[in-house]
Amino acid sequence: MTDTHQSRVSSQAGLGRTLWNALWPVLVAVLCGLVMHLAIGPWAGGYASTVMVACAINVVLAVSLTVVNGFAGQFSLGHAGFMAIGGYTAAGIVYYGSLLMWGDASPSGSVLSASFDEVAGRPWLAAGDALFVVACLVGGLMAAIAGYVVGLPSLRLRGDYLAIVTLGFGEIVRVLLQGTKGQIQPWKMSELAETPGWRLPLHLGGPQGFNLLPVYTTLFWATAAMTLSAIVIYRLKYSALGREFLSVREDEIAAQAMGVNVTRAKVRAFVVAATFAGIAGGLYGHLTGTMNATELDFKRSIEIVIMVVLGGMGSISGAAMAAVLLTILPELLRDPPAIWPAGLLVLAIVTFTQWRRRRFSWPVLTGIIVATIVFEVGRRVAIAHAVDLADYRLVIYALLLILMMLLRPDGLFGVHEFWDVLGLRRVPRPGIDGRSEVEA
Amino acid sequence: MTAVAPESQSRPLLDVRGLRKSFGGLSAVQGFSLPLPERGLYGLIGPNGAGKTTVFNLLTGVYTPDEGAIRLGDRPLAGLNPHQIALAGMSRTFQNIRLFGELSVLQNVQLACALRTKRHLFWTLLRTAGSLHREAEVRARSLELLELFHLQHRAHEPARSLPYGHQRKLEIVRALATQPKVLLLDEPAAGMNPQEKRQLGETIRHIRDTFDVAILLIEHDMGLVMDICERITVLDHGETIAVGSPREIQADAHVIKAYLGAADQL
Amino acid sequence: MDKFLQTLMDGFTVGSLYALIALGYTMVYGILQFINFAHGDVFALGVHLTIVFAAMLGIEGLATGGPASLPVVVGVLLLTMLACGCVGFLIERLAYRPLRSSPRLNVLITAIGVSLLLQNVGQLPFVFGPYRKATPNLLPDVTLATIGGEQQTQDDGTLEIVGGVKVTLVNVTVVLVALAMMLALQYVIHSTRFGLAMRAVSHDPRTAGLMGINVDLVISLTFMIGSMLAAGAGFLYTLKYTGNVAHPGEATWVLLGLKAFVAAVVGGIGNIRGAVLGGLLIGLTEFFGVGYLSSEYRDAYVFAILIVVLLVRPQGILGRPKIEKV
Repeated sequence: MTDTHQSRVSSQAGLGRTLWNALWPVLVAVLCGLVMHLAIGPWAGGYASTVMVACAINVVLAVSLTVVNGFAGQFSLGHAGFMAIGGYTAAGIVYYGSLLMWGDASPSGSVLSASFDEVAGRPWLAAGDALFVVACLVGGLMAAIAGYVVGLPSLRLRGDYLAIVTLGFGEIVRVLLQGTKGQIQPWKMSELAETPGWRLPLHLGGPQGFNLLPVYTTLFWATAAMTLSAIVIYRLKYSALGREFLSVREDEIAAQAMGVNVTRAKVRAFVVAATFAGIAGGLYGHLTGTMNATELDFKRSIEIVIMVVLGGMGSISGAAMAAVLLTILPELLRDPPAIWPAGLLVLAIVTFTQWRRRRFSWPVLTGIIVATIVFEVGRRVAIAHAVDLADYRLVIYALLLILMMLLRPDGLFGVHEFWDVLGLRRVPRPGIDGRSEVEA
Repeated sequence: MTAVAPESQSRPLLDVRGLRKSFGGLSAVQGFSLPLPERGLYGLIGPNGAGKTTVFNLLTGVYTPDEGAIRLGDRPLAGLNPHQIALAGMSRTFQNIRLFGELSVLQNVQLACALRTKRHLFWTLLRTAGSLHREAEVRARSLELLELFHLQHRAHEPARSLPYGHQRKLEIVRALATQPKVLLLDEPAAGMNPQEKRQLGETIRHIRDTFDVAILLIEHDMGLVMDICERITVLDHGETIAVGSPREIQADAHVIKAYLGAADQL
Repeated sequence: MDKFLQTLMDGFTVGSLYALIALGYTMVYGILQFINFAHGDVFALGVHLTIVFAAMLGIEGLATGGPASLPVVVGVLLLTMLACGCVGFLIERLAYRPLRSSPRLNVLITAIGVSLLLQNVGQLPFVFGPYRKATPNLLPDVTLATIGGEQQTQDDGTLEIVGGVKVTLVNVTVVLVALAMMLALQYVIHSTRFGLAMRAVSHDPRTAGLMGINVDLVISLTFMIGSMLAAGAGFLYTLKYTGNVAHPGEATWVLLGLKAFVAAVVGGIGNIRGAVLGGLLIGLTEFFGVGYLSSEYRDAYVFAILIVVLLVRPQGILGRPKIEKV
């Protein structure tokens, strides 16, 4: 990562630098994807891989929502709506595209698009992959357009009103998608041939959902999308535009007086967030082979909001960590592992950061110890009485959310990143820097 | 009432004429006119609730005037959005400090400083050499500005953690970072002790001289206003009751009545 | 014509339910300037408590017991309102009061948390359970009058009215009870000392506090009244929608709550009369949309109205625009 102030570049070096900066995130994303897909996935097994893919998709969703709810300080409750728009767009392109081009809706992907027990004999790149990637990108584009449209009312509304409008938007999207006609089944090619191309977007499965989609999403694609979105949004945060977003969140009137076009900033935030949500929707649909708008209702939106809120309103790493935690929480609760090692680890990290700052906060340390003991006791009681804690998952979410607001309203890391809070750097980085203490 | 002194020079830099604004039948400001020449340092005073801040809000586009014209140079400003007015060259501070608290001191200045640099979403995300270069320039200029006001050692602290006096100063630095032609200062000396006020007076004059801006100052501290302002406009109940040099204002019966009238009745 | 009248009547009945719920949103918003997201769940709680209390008093489902006697019906209503009032009080005391000085978004998030909590605690097996429940048979299914229609002589010689719009006891009860509650609220707000205190707090909490008004108490009572109105709406809901009601975790409740909120916003949030007007408007829109356009997009009509109103007249039909202080 380059610090911007070191980059006094000469014009000849400019082009090379531009290319390198544009390319390395893609390379890193592909590399991370390959490692996960070819090494860690097979090692962890099929079920764990599926959970990891779900984690990665949720990270994309949470990190993208951070742009609106965290950086720009708007409150969107319609993220699932963008996900649905992107997902259905991608699904329509892949499904009807496959039928029209290959007369078959089964996937024709490469090694990258197959689970590790099916990779044998597949090529490294295939036409199906290209179709899938293009479809996801177009899905992102459609969602971006929707984001633009939704961003517009945010000019006139703020806070909770905007929350309700975005929620209403998500519900309208859901209702409209459920109102589409049934999909043209793969065995009715004659019907497909009779239907003009422009009418195909009307046949998206309706209330039954859009089924029989070719399955492309693997750990490779999910990890690559996650890495790429994290890098892009990190760049956004530490740029002039990110500063604009943050200034809008801090004080709209002052931001305007300093020449920030608040309107444009908000709409941009919505567009960026929606794009990634749309891509995540594409990944989601091609993971299970079905898109169902009923699952993409406001409850899904709220789930994503919880991730952002818990991680910290504006913290990319925080949102990502919360997304992973909340995705695996049901798995953890089904068979709860011992809590105390995690408690000790957190205690060690917090003690370390406080020692680095020479500022110990006893309430925080005691709080962690007490919480660890309470959770550990709760776990043992649950095991002893054979209670399935997974049934209580949503109750736990709700309590986490309320407690977080009461005790640490900025979320785990606030607007800061995980590594900022650790206090490892002596010189604060350019950007959101310099909160001088870990606050209770 | 003192007549508006005939200005022999040509057109003033900031030309405000007949500004009127009412909120739901309640007239907040009416018939406000002000010719502010280049490098002028004018004051705007009046008792509490006289409409001084409303004038600032009208000038900077926070409120749209019901009537009247505002021209900055050749450009009419009435009806423009606040950010367009900032771009046109008018910048301000706020009576109740409005810094971006969670952002660092440096970022507060950088934000204002980047006003006139291009920021394209796509190029920013690609981190093209050009966008990095512009960003580095903005950073360097912001640091320079902070150094000028002796705030550089706090550059990386969150703005909200600064002591009060520094926050006031940072607001001025931030306003200056937009490279304005006209700077509106809304009670910059509020909450300062006499010594700090004297220093502030020096600073304001210094800013006018080095940055080549015209300054319009709202201030309650008469000593400061009388000391540094060339001309003073006095508002009461939204109306201009006097305009003139500090000496004229001090002798003006209307002004004395506006300020002391309430006291008489006690 | 029959269809029109029937739609009008149904829309009006359901609209008065929305209006009752909307009053709770609008009162809380008027005083604390935030959306009590959990209000829709208090309404759902009202529905489920009605079923529980009716069962306690011996009326369970449509088959067993009932139609209930008047004291039982009134008893169920009062118990439900009391219980929901207490829940409303606790929510405010435990979750919202500690955040009184926090940014509004934090309170909104907390409200979402409370809403989730109510939903998910509600569907735990030992609370209401995650399954649909039958509504109690509280009112007899009687047609009071028929508008229009034709008299026909049946085979056995009796006269029967075919077609026309039936004015049922249920519809009349729902509208009348809702109306009574609204009038009571109107009386409380405009003609009692408490109402005066409430209006003062909604105007400016700090000054009201300085004038010797116990702001905390007023806010607590406002929450209680709002929750009681929601409970009343829940009670009426079980009268209107006989059959099975959704369990507390289902999306139905949040959607109903949201529609009521939309009603409050459309009418002008913070404005009591606006809430009633908005409620009726939303009820009618929904039913006319379903009746004359398409039932598939039922939820979309309401949100479309919301978006249009917010874009054209953000302060709502009866609301006043707010001037932001700088």
